[in-house]
Amino acid sequence: MSESESIYGPYRPVLEKVQSYLMDEISMVRQNVSRENGYDPVEHCPTRIKGEDSMREKCRRQNIPETTYSALETIHDAIGIRIVCAFLNDVYLFRDHLVSLPDTEIVQEKDYIRHAKPNGYRSYHLILKIHTPGGLVNDVDQKPHVYAEIQLRTISMDTWAALEHHLKYKKNISGSNQELIVEELKRCADELASTDVSMQTIRDMIHEL
Amino acid sequence: MIILLAEDTRDLNRVETAVLEHAGYTVDSVFDGQEAIDAIEKNGYDLVILDVMMPKKTGIEVVEQMRRENITTPVLMLTAKTEVDDRCAGLDAGADDYLAKPFALKELLARVRALTRRKKEYGDEKLSFADLTLDGSTFELVSENTVRLSVKEYELLETLMQNRDRELDTDYLLEKVWGSDPEATPDTVWLYVSYLQGKLRSVASKVTISGERGGSYRLLMAVREQA
Repeated sequence: MSESESIYGPYRPVLEKVQSYLMDEISMVRQNVSRENGYDPVEHCPTRIKGEDSMREKCRRQNIPETTYSALETIHDAIGIRIVCAFLNDVYLFRDHLVSLPDTEIVQEKDYIRHAKPNGYRSYHLILKIHTPGGLVNDVDQKPHVYAEIQLRTISMDTWAALEHHLKYKKNISGSNQELIVEELKRCADELASTDVSMQTIRDMIHEL
Repeated sequence: MIILLAEDTRDLNRVETAVLEHAGYTVDSVFDGQEAIDAIEKNGYDLVILDVMMPKKTGIEVVEQMRRENITTPVLMLTAKTEVDDRCAGLDAGADDYLAKPFALKELLARVRALTRRKKEYGDEKLSFADLTLDGSTFELVSENTVRLSVKEYELLETLMQNRDRELDTDYLLEKVWGSDPEATPDTVWLYVSYLQGKLRSVASKVTISGERGGSYRLLMAVREQA
């Protein structure tokens, strides 16, 4: 697909620039923690620029025109980063660092760790607006910017979400079975959340020694 | 509620079965110790009633074998022997109670009721404190969110909730929750209090546990910033 046909128009380079800026910031925190505490707080950290097809599909689903403006202004996850941490407190460490970056605003923040979803889903969702030269200018404020969606969670929350995702796309589970599986997944989520707290407590205790 | 009755005297077996069935229990009747073992290994029972003197295997041998196989079903012994030593032998072998023959059928029913009642130790009971519920049947700690507690976490929090107006010191909690566990120390109590403090936060409860390492603890309502 040639550049002119991209739903991102001429903005792909700025998306990539902001993506790598955020990844560098995450790396820096990782290195600091490694140096001070002797372990890498991040288990893995996948990132992507949302694919063309997937972005167009999202526009259609939301009944908005398939335009560059929709992709960069109405939809906020053109840049996606998921930070998967070993321990609970590290989630908040990264959150605090990212929201304090210069030229960065919080657009939306949802703490589904403290306030879990009814099905047991836990994760910290952050949508950031990063002001940067070369970004899109919208009708309201004149500062060029792009958005990034950042999900922060622990390894066990990530494992749980992966399993729950499988269920969502498995259509041929009979009714009563479906109910049992949903209930059991909720139970697992609550047990994992409990274990995350225990592991954090043990880590803190080791640290005090 | 299903009861296994092992009694080799035919007439007595018939009468006891009829009385228990009349009281609403489902009864499997057998006539010797081997039949009793076979039935116990095959089916689940809420209570086992064993005559001591039976052919093939005595009631004491049956209860010993049950406990060796980790079958914890309550056992009521029926004994013609009224010597103290014989009664103790049955209890020491793993029986939960005994009844000396001849006995009143009314007393048999009362003991059956008492022994089947005892099964609900954790109960299906729910304890509440402020914005918190602790569910004894699932070990769930519920406030805005839910987490599942381990057995010791549950017992510790249950104790604190049952004594909400009192400070409980480390020694008391150690004895009450960890009993005779030789590995448990005052630091174990502190670690489990710390676990619970974290878990109370993770269900977004306003309740917290106050107290210092090695000191006394109690539940408190805290004014906490909601994240």
